Amino acid sequence: MDLLSFLLVQCLNALSQAALLFFLGVGLTLIFGIMRIVNFAHGTFYMLGAFLGYSAVRVTGSFWAGLVLGPLVAGGIGAAFEMGLLRRLYKRDDSAFLMVTFGLTLVLGEIIRLVWGVDALQVQVPDSLSGIVFLLDEPFPVYRLFLVAAGAIVAVGIWQFLERTRLGLLIRATSQNAEMVHALGVDVNLVRSGIFGIGCGLAALGGVLAAPLLSASLGMAGNAIIDAFVIVIIGGMGSFPGSLLAAILVAFVQVFGTYYFPDFAMAAMYLLMLLVLVVRPGGLLGKEA
Amino acid sequence: MRIFVCVALLLAMAPLGLPLFAMTLLTEALILGLLAMSLDLMVGYTRLISFGHAAAYGLGAYASGYLLLHTSLPLPFAVLAASVLAGVVAIGVAWVCTLAKGVSFSMLTLAFAQLLYAVAFKWTSVTGASDGLAGIPRTAGPFGVTVFQTKNGYYYFVLVCLLGAYLFCRSLVASPFGAVLRGIRENEAKTLSLGYNTRLYKIAVVAVSFALGGLAGALYSPFAGFANTELVFWLFSGQVLIMVIVGGQGTLIGPILGAAFFMLLEHVLSQYTESWALFFGLIFIGFVMFAPQGIWGLLTRRARA
Repeated sequence: MDLLSFLLVQCLNALSQAALLFFLGVGLTLIFGIMRIVNFAHGTFYMLGAFLGYSAVRVTGSFWAGLVLGPLVAGGIGAAFEMGLLRRLYKRDDSAFLMVTFGLTLVLGEIIRLVWGVDALQVQVPDSLSGIVFLLDEPFPVYRLFLVAAGAIVAVGIWQFLERTRLGLLIRATSQNAEMVHALGVDVNLVRSGIFGIGCGLAALGGVLAAPLLSASLGMAGNAIIDAFVIVIIGGMGSFPGSLLAAILVAFVQVFGTYYFPDFAMAAMYLLMLLVLVVRPGGLLGKEA
Repeated sequence: MRIFVCVALLLAMAPLGLPLFAMTLLTEALILGLLAMSLDLMVGYTRLISFGHAAAYGLGAYASGYLLLHTSLPLPFAVLAASVLAGVVAIGVAWVCTLAKGVSFSMLTLAFAQLLYAVAFKWTSVTGASDGLAGIPRTAGPFGVTVFQTKNGYYYFVLVCLLGAYLFCRSLVASPFGAVLRGIRENEAKTLSLGYNTRLYKIAVVAVSFALGGLAGALYSPFAGFANTELVFWLFSGQVLIMVIVGGQGTLIGPILGAAFFMLLEHVLSQYTESWALFFGLIFIGFVMFAPQGIWGLLTRRARA
């Protein structure tokens, strides 16, 4: 394998990894930016997405149905949770959210275990995505290319949604000054429920997409929540472009780190994060902390 | 103070009346109580919400385990050395973490704990990787003291450590140093403008908290006979935070009760259902929503009413 094809394959690997990380991080950063809530249950919604995706694929026989149903159901659960519990805590300090969502992590994780059992569940990709292609004579799985494309589409989609739609405008306005938006006659609570649901739905979308690669398992949530936090901290809390940039950075560190320094790959991500925080405490594109 | 003496006496007499398995539970509850109390210095008194306190526990547990396995250091000294190590490492950790505030601080502590988790997983020659350290002995103390080698003897050792740490923490939070910590909790900017270098105070409290948390971990590994990566895992950090909140933050006594409550609940629930985490999560959410002052808060409020 010559250097060029090696680099191409590794970069594409990293980009597909970045797409998964982006789905995880962007929901968390949106929720934080607008609601000032750290959603500790974010990784659990990602895991929930993977399991929902598995069931949807089994019932409907279509991966695409899972891709739609998983995020919808998980997003609905997220929004319901916001309306039922989180809404009562807005007058309390930040730590209350952190702890209630930690409690949700335990509850939701246990429910998932009760419903789907302890075994890792394999999700089949549709035939159209399961093959390999040859890039510069190197084989590469189509599914990973699909992930890169999906990541790009969702990133552009969210960006356009925030910039061009009325709801996107309301979301940005709420993040700047919720009281003023409220005074102008907008139901801020509804915007918050919506954004919490959308954030959880995005995590679940990442979970469905990751399921064919990693299979749906109970260990997903723990790794995912840490990855998500790292992305959000490196990118800057609440910064949408920051989460995209951080996802790509972390993915490259992970992929090339695993190749060159297999023993230190796990630590590399945290070192990157510490480095960023020492230089820019608010994250790369965040406001100063 | 009278209550303190009563409770201390009661705990000291516990081995006379309780069966051996209950003593094992009680010993572990006291160790976890010490850990939760050490976290309370940060969470309850300074409003530094650490999501990585398992790092302190794991550091202490691995360090004392390593020393007991590979050196002939007497047990109390190994435990002390591990505790000091955790405190010294904490100075570096705190120096970086206090660059950030609020939620970012929490996330940084989490990252540090995970970094340590990664190290524990990979540094096979010292930590035994995923197997952890096994067969950690309770070696004889100095001058041929063998009392720590029996179960009840070790219980007394843990009890003395906990009572000592409690008295230390109590005088610490009552001191001018403690007043500055509470100042940081209520309004850091104001405390800073009064001329206190709040960052130094925060680093100091993290170091003390880690040293005591490390002491708890150092006591745990000879007690259990092993140290593994689960002790450093983020889930455990979260559980310790639960103990502090459920027990009652900012009271020192509360978190100890919280740890005991946690142990008892886990023990009882796991006898009836495999899904104890479910009820656990629900109880925890209930506490945060409806009783933010925790068990100790509920008890003292009733006493006053």
